[in-house]
Amino acid sequence: MSAKKNYCRLAAAAVVGSLVLTACSAGSGGNSSEGSAENTSVTVALTGEPVNLDFTTTAGAAIPQALMSNVYEGLVEIDQAGKIQPLLAESWELSNGNKTYTFKLREGATFSNGEAFTAEDVKFSIERVQSDAWVSSLKKKMDIVDSVEVNSDTEVAITLKQPSNAWLFDMGTLVGAIFDPSGVDDLAGTAIGTGPYEIDAWNRGQSIEFATREDYWGEAPTVENVSLRYFADAVATTNALQSGDVDVVYNMQSPELLSSFESDGKYQVLDGTSNGEIVLSMNNNMAPFDDLRVRQAVMHAIDRQAVVDTAWNGYGTVVGGPVPTTDPYYEDLNDVYPYDPAKAESLLAEAGAQDLDITFTVPTRPYATAVSEIVVSQLADVGINAKIESAEFPAVWLDEVFTKQDYQMSVVLAVESRDVLAMFNNPDYYLGYDNSKIKDLAAEADAADEAGYVDGMKQVVRTIVDDAAANTLFIFPNIVVAKAEVTGIPANSVTEALDLTNLGWK
Amino acid sequence: MAAEQVLVEKTRRKLSLTLIVGGSLVAVVVLAALVSFFWTPYNPVQAFPADRLQGSSAAHLMGTDRYGRDVFSGVLYGARITLLVGLVAVGIALVIGTPLGILAGMRGGITEEVTMRGADILLAFPALLVAIMFGAVFGASTLTAMLAIGIGSIPGFARVARSGTLQVMSTEYIMAAKASSQSGWRIARRHVMPNIVGMVVVQCSVSFAIAVLAEAALSFLGLGTPPPVPSWGRMLQESQQFLGTFPMLAVWPGAAIAVAVLGFTLLGDGLRDRFDPKLNGER
Repeated sequence: MSAKKNYCRLAAAAVVGSLVLTACSAGSGGNSSEGSAENTSVTVALTGEPVNLDFTTTAGAAIPQALMSNVYEGLVEIDQAGKIQPLLAESWELSNGNKTYTFKLREGATFSNGEAFTAEDVKFSIERVQSDAWVSSLKKKMDIVDSVEVNSDTEVAITLKQPSNAWLFDMGTLVGAIFDPSGVDDLAGTAIGTGPYEIDAWNRGQSIEFATREDYWGEAPTVENVSLRYFADAVATTNALQSGDVDVVYNMQSPELLSSFESDGKYQVLDGTSNGEIVLSMNNNMAPFDDLRVRQAVMHAIDRQAVVDTAWNGYGTVVGGPVPTTDPYYEDLNDVYPYDPAKAESLLAEAGAQDLDITFTVPTRPYATAVSEIVVSQLADVGINAKIESAEFPAVWLDEVFTKQDYQMSVVLAVESRDVLAMFNNPDYYLGYDNSKIKDLAAEADAADEAGYVDGMKQVVRTIVDDAAANTLFIFPNIVVAKAEVTGIPANSVTEALDLTNLGWK
Repeated sequence: MAAEQVLVEKTRRKLSLTLIVGGSLVAVVVLAALVSFFWTPYNPVQAFPADRLQGSSAAHLMGTDRYGRDVFSGVLYGARITLLVGLVAVGIALVIGTPLGILAGMRGGITEEVTMRGADILLAFPALLVAIMFGAVFGASTLTAMLAIGIGSIPGFARVARSGTLQVMSTEYIMAAKASSQSGWRIARRHVMPNIVGMVVVQCSVSFAIAVLAEAALSFLGLGTPPPVPSWGRMLQESQQFLGTFPMLAVWPGAAIAVAVLGFTLLGDGLRDRFDPKLNGER
């Protein structure tokens, strides 16, 4: 392995040397290095481009997908099975009635701007989440931290207000990202983290180019350059794969096209799970969905299995609640609101809401447009006339639906991991769910032991579902199609991150 | 004189075929649209998930789409949208473009310069680009599509009306009318308009074909009629992902667009030759 790497370095050095010596044009230099370029770079196709690089102030999945694990790292990381693993922290201990975590930090780690990673950075990063600098709704996850004490450069003690099961997991997600105090001036344009990659170039509207860092503390990734290329739609990504422009299509958005890849030995198709829930949102604060019966009618009116079958070619899991199958407190809640149009109609009649006219704001994403048409048809069957209004995603959708909350119904893929409380335990969130019933339950569960946590959270989720706070249509599959020779692709999407560090070639 | 007569007769007979084919195709589209007001085999927006992606059968003449909606019903209904967009767009262009063209042709001078250069500028933007801008600013809807296509079609009408007017203005009867000090308005109404009506009708038909295509393109791009109301362009777009597996899904709306565009183009050609046999000779 290392012999191979040395060989590659030698080859690269030779190429560079010849370039300098002969001062040949970039074009011919590119040609001569093409053979090795195949093995030192991977191009990944994605849809949905980041609007900037700052997930501390901008919602949406694209930014942390590109940056977490690759540029930014946390004290811990979440592995493919959803388990917590050490990263910038080598180990940790619990004390003080399970309220204080003492982390022993890795030595020798540096940020890409050259600054050393120390306990001060941990304190800075956590306190920054709690400050006004962060405006992401996910920042609430850090509210539980009472104090951060720097014991030494390599040891930090974090004390929580009460014991929390969710917090350590959250530390492996984007709120746990460690920043350098001198590297946060231009987060929207420059990302400085401790991760194995740094951003080499960001071509807005096209791609983000990652290059490995020479001074990374851990094992260097096997491929030196990874390019994330952003495409407008699903068909464009698969076309690019077929033409050889990209090597991997991650989170493939067009399951109809899978059959042609599955039968072709040149490609591999990975059918992974994800943390994403396709949520049909009903604005709990706005008529007619401020009426529980109307929301319940919508729950009964939609045949979720039919939605998966028609809109997403049967890929995806119908679960009946806003919890992905990989979460510890997952349970099948399909029985709570079975498909029952007659029941839906009687609920609407009871609420005095027959022949409803509503506006259905649909973001311009493939899953959303695909889902919207079947939903509209099924709503029409029970007498709800939904008018589709298309909202450009992310800009317009985030502004109108998410921020201004000026909508009645929408549909979106909620990708944040273990986000059930972020979505529902916050009355200011765009869903507008009145969390008074679950607030205390959730707090109790979080402070309980692990079994108590799981049971308590199940109760929370049941309450949310009983209140028909939102209609979780299905759990989004994480479909990956790639050239057969690409290895180390994270098939499961357990956190928001797309971990590029293990990518390689056979 | 006799020979010329024969030539005209001959041309007329030959042209009729274009007219008949064009007229029939247009009639098919119009009929489909009219029928959809009274009857479609199924509700075109109602999904029957169990019957999804079926081929042609007695129950579903053109099969069903990914949601289990009847494609034939959608195509019938789509004709309505197509004609509506075409009518309104052409109407806008006709009502604005023609008077501007006549005005430019009659007045000349600065009026003509301003109008025609304005038309040139508008012509420099493809109708589709105007429509995309409208869609981005006002949101995608049938109305914005109609407005945009209509505005994009104005220069064509202005130019045709102006060139027709210029021809008419150089005739002796206009001199006579002018000599008898008739008002400009009266000359336009009594002499110019009746004489250019043929050219304008031809322009209507040709513009209609362009409008149909533009509407389909806009809907394909998601800037036209919003879902779920069936429109041919969007049906085509939705079938895109199934090209490999269910190609017929794309064939039906594609064929419908082709029929409509071909119909209006042929009709326009036929009408042109009929109204303006001289032009035919010159070609």
